[in-house]
Amino acid sequence: MDRSSHLSVVVDLSPTHWYLSSTRSQQNSRPLSLKSFLSQLLVFLNSHIACKDENTLAVFGVLPGRSVMLFSSLSEISGNPLDAADADTYRPFKVLDGTVMRTIAEHVENLGPSDLEKPVELVGALTKSLCYINRITATSSAQSAEQTASLDPRILILSVSPDQSSSYIPIMNSIFSAQKLRVTIDVCKVYGSESVFLQQAAHLTGGSYLHLERADALLQYLTMSFLPPPGIRQLLSVPTQDKVDFRAACFCHKRIVDIGFVCSVCLSIFCQPVPVCSTCRTKFPIKTLQRLNAARPPITIPAVAASPSVTSLPSSHTIRAGHINGSQPVAPNGLR
Amino acid sequence: MPPRRIEHEGDSDSDLDIFEDFDSGAKSKGKGKGKAIDRGKKDKGKGKAKEQPYAWEASYTRSWDTVQEDEAGSLQGAVEDLIARGRRRRLLAPAAAIRRTIIRHLVLLLDLSSAMMDRDMRPTRFDLMLQYAREFITEWFDQNPLGQIGIVGMRAGIGERLGGMSGNPQEVLKTISERHKLEPTGEPSLQNAIEMARASMSHLPTHSSREIIVIFGSLTTCDPGNIHEALAECVKDRIRISVVALAAEMKICRELCDKTGGQFGVALNEGHFKDLLFELIPPPAQRALPSGPNARSAGTAPADLMLMGFPTRLPDTSPPSLCVCHSQLKSEGFLCPRCGAKVCDVPTDCDICGLMIVSSPHLARSYHHLFPVKTYQAVTTLDNMPNPSKMCHACARPFKYAPQSMAGASGEGMSHLGRYRCPDCQNDFCGECDVFVHDVVHCCPGCGR
Repeated sequence: MDRSSHLSVVVDLSPTHWYLSSTRSQQNSRPLSLKSFLSQLLVFLNSHIACKDENTLAVFGVLPGRSVMLFSSLSEISGNPLDAADADTYRPFKVLDGTVMRTIAEHVENLGPSDLEKPVELVGALTKSLCYINRITATSSAQSAEQTASLDPRILILSVSPDQSSSYIPIMNSIFSAQKLRVTIDVCKVYGSESVFLQQAAHLTGGSYLHLERADALLQYLTMSFLPPPGIRQLLSVPTQDKVDFRAACFCHKRIVDIGFVCSVCLSIFCQPVPVCSTCRTKFPIKTLQRLNAARPPITIPAVAASPSVTSLPSSHTIRAGHINGSQPVAPNGLR
Repeated sequence: MPPRRIEHEGDSDSDLDIFEDFDSGAKSKGKGKGKAIDRGKKDKGKGKAKEQPYAWEASYTRSWDTVQEDEAGSLQGAVEDLIARGRRRRLLAPAAAIRRTIIRHLVLLLDLSSAMMDRDMRPTRFDLMLQYAREFITEWFDQNPLGQIGIVGMRAGIGERLGGMSGNPQEVLKTISERHKLEPTGEPSLQNAIEMARASMSHLPTHSSREIIVIFGSLTTCDPGNIHEALAECVKDRIRISVVALAAEMKICRELCDKTGGQFGVALNEGHFKDLLFELIPPPAQRALPSGPNARSAGTAPADLMLMGFPTRLPDTSPPSLCVCHSQLKSEGFLCPRCGAKVCDVPTDCDICGLMIVSSPHLARSYHHLFPVKTYQAVTTLDNMPNPSKMCHACARPFKYAPQSMAGASGEGMSHLGRYRCPDCQNDFCGECDVFVHDVVHCCPGCGR
């Protein structure tokens, strides 16, 4: 049990959503500002490296349109002005805190007004952290196979922004590679609605997904659920997911669908029957189109909402789907 | 045969794998020390098989001739170089075809005739076949999560069903796990086995692919009727037959593959056997041209639009309820999105409303075949760049500035500097991340897609 572990933390720093999170509103009765979030996060990071001397850490920041590595325990930054000896603090803590805060400040300042419009680059940070884990596990396997097993790498995603349906495929790809590398992905949704993709990420990799009910108690959630490595977590009762949503995003409008139309050749998902697959340009027989149009589930077409079958649907689904549809810009030719 | 021997032999095989390419160089140049690496590199890809000796004429491998010491007398650089090249080579495979069959049904025909006891492949053809078949099945399910595999053996003149069509890798592996039940005897019968495989796939919907992969060690087939009739039936049913022969090319095997649009190959040695088999793992590309030579048989399988539902998974802690498939009281399960019925496992068809229920990860696992990451270009010079990045964009490993004094010079997509650049986002990646991104992640860290 007493093994060193590696933790990669992916921090969502979307300015828009942190602003929303820090303002008090009806839905958000306990606001959490970025500043207090970061101070709680640093305590958590410090406790991770304090748990064991060999524990390693990497911190990645997710910003609109870019993703950056904020800190890595492999690259010791020398000549740091903050590095001056301080009798009151443990040096690794000081290096960590200083580096993380400094790099965040640098990158946030570099954001131009045009960047704020862009969606956050969660995928980039996730793949980077996977590459980083690949790097450290690969180098240690060259030394000894035993060490790789003991690394027990995991990724913790602290997310505030909603799902972007356009990143569905890359996120799924990252999840599968995490499975291959035996990396656990933990998700902590600090603010905002449930994230379908991240739920799947946590479920498929055996991590835990936590949607904070009280964002101001963040540190407690972090230390209780995410500090112990997965091996120990089996003995603790970490909050589990009550429901995992296995819905996917359609390729045509990037909507998240319950029931989709799937091309048999390439498995592209569409939210309505289409005559030609946009991915592989397969033509579908007219007969199927007619049959499917008749059997079409009412969710996707509000125009037929008067049909009696709509009442048979669970209302929560309709509302949820409607909410998601409403918040996503509908691109007519969304595929790439 | 005592098991100890098998293990021992297995070890020597794996050594052979690593250096196989470089052996070819060493062989053709005699004791050409040092130059061997250059040579091996040129024979890469398809050509390499031609240069390799047959397994039965190989005496011993001079793997020590192919590595070269660097200035400090260390072998580490040479070994790393070998490994990097081997990985890199796999990446350079073309990634063009976009239309692939993804719902696959495969019957694996294993030759269990007495010809499989030959020892030209170590330890025996039979043991090697079982070993590779297991690896093949694992990898196949990884890449084709919606596929199904059935296994048929050819032994003593009849086709023997070893395992029915199943989508569960563990179940399929179990059918070939017991070696003593598969002990080879008698003559194989291609016709019987193919007929059996065809029959087990006759009920499948038209849009799924039907494939037969034959691992054939014998030089004869002992058939009750005309095998050409069986072949004609397969062509009619759009069954694609691929054969990996272990002995030599047989006219009928070649014809089976050519007429049905499959691949035929004769394994030269152990490594080549594995290559041939593993080439059949990625979903076959469907030719988009309707006028192609194989258009009728393999090119244009009728495509269809399918209605699929994505279920909600209930956790272990939910209140128990009856499932519709077994009528058992269970707490975990999946809810059909259309009728709300609870089923135990996916993918399946809902027992109540008949909707096909798949979990979206099952589908998503196949997408990387459709949207491959663009191949990164090797950066060979830093001259026309004002300020090159100091470290790999993905893993933050610092780049080496001094060009490595590699034995094998540049070209072949290798970079002196260990830098590979994404054509889209113009970020530089190290060699290791390049391979990792293209082989595993299938998503560029710079572009985020």
